Amino acid sequence: MRKLFISTIATLIGLSIIWQVTAAERTPAPKDAYLYIGWPNDGEVIPANRPFRVWFGLRHMGVAPKDVDAPFTGHHHLVIDRDLPPFDQEIPSDRNFLHFGSGQTETMIELPAGKHTLQLLMGDHNHIPHDPPIYSKKITIDVR
Amino acid sequence: MNKIIVLLMVVCVFAINTAHAERTPAPKDAQVYIVWPADGAVIHGGKLWVRMGLRGAGVAPKGADKPHVGHHHLIVDAELPPMDEAIPSDRNYLHFGGGQTEARLEGLSPGKHTLQLLMGDHDHVPHDPPLYSKKITITVPPY
Repeated sequence: MRKLFISTIATLIGLSIIWQVTAAERTPAPKDAYLYIGWPNDGEVIPANRPFRVWFGLRHMGVAPKDVDAPFTGHHHLVIDRDLPPFDQEIPSDRNFLHFGSGQTETMIELPAGKHTLQLLMGDHNHIPHDPPIYSKKITIDVR
Repeated sequence: MNKIIVLLMVVCVFAINTAHAERTPAPKDAQVYIVWPADGAVIHGGKLWVRMGLRGAGVAPKGADKPHVGHHHLIVDAELPPMDEAIPSDRNYLHFGGGQTEARLEGLSPGKHTLQLLMGDHDHVPHDPPLYSKKITITVPPY
């Protein structure tokens, strides 16, 4: 019984160490970092079936390609028609979560007619959001 | 004697080739441009954020030697520097080696000022061919 108790305590200590290490892995956000969508504007009307440019705005922080672990940097992710993902794990990579791991600062996208939301989220060299996470205002565009 | 001269020439040619080979090839179709301000803009108060635009390539901090990347340099009131050496670093040639994509300028005196962007590779040397923006002129009214 005593052994079980000790091993349980040991396991808990082990788990808490793992948890702390995992938590410590998140990259601290640069102070005053500000992320925004430079274009389109919130509410912008965009012609359907035609590619348009999305411009990524970032202040008080730099852009670095994925895997480049430089201070005060990250790379852009564009979230389309989705809410923000969990902040303690890698940002998903699919048609709703576009990664710009080569250090791109703008992109061209094409969306079907209708209302769509766009939001930017920075990821660190491991694609994990900073702590606290750096994300833009979510905007809505009207494609028609 | 002749042998020595030939040897020297060979060494020189080799050195020149090596120096040339060090320049990073520019990503094909890459384009650097000033998103804001527009050419001819009037900037009150002599302070502004310059938004630095890049197409067909990525931004990386200095020292990061990745394919198809570079970092921004903003040239204020000066000409393009020599393209085969590191871009100067002074008040006319601002380096953004942290991978920044916007530049804060303050204290611009009243009058006309020119702005131009030039990409540098991980060693601050322009790409081959060099990637630079159109040079724009802004006006700061008396304040």
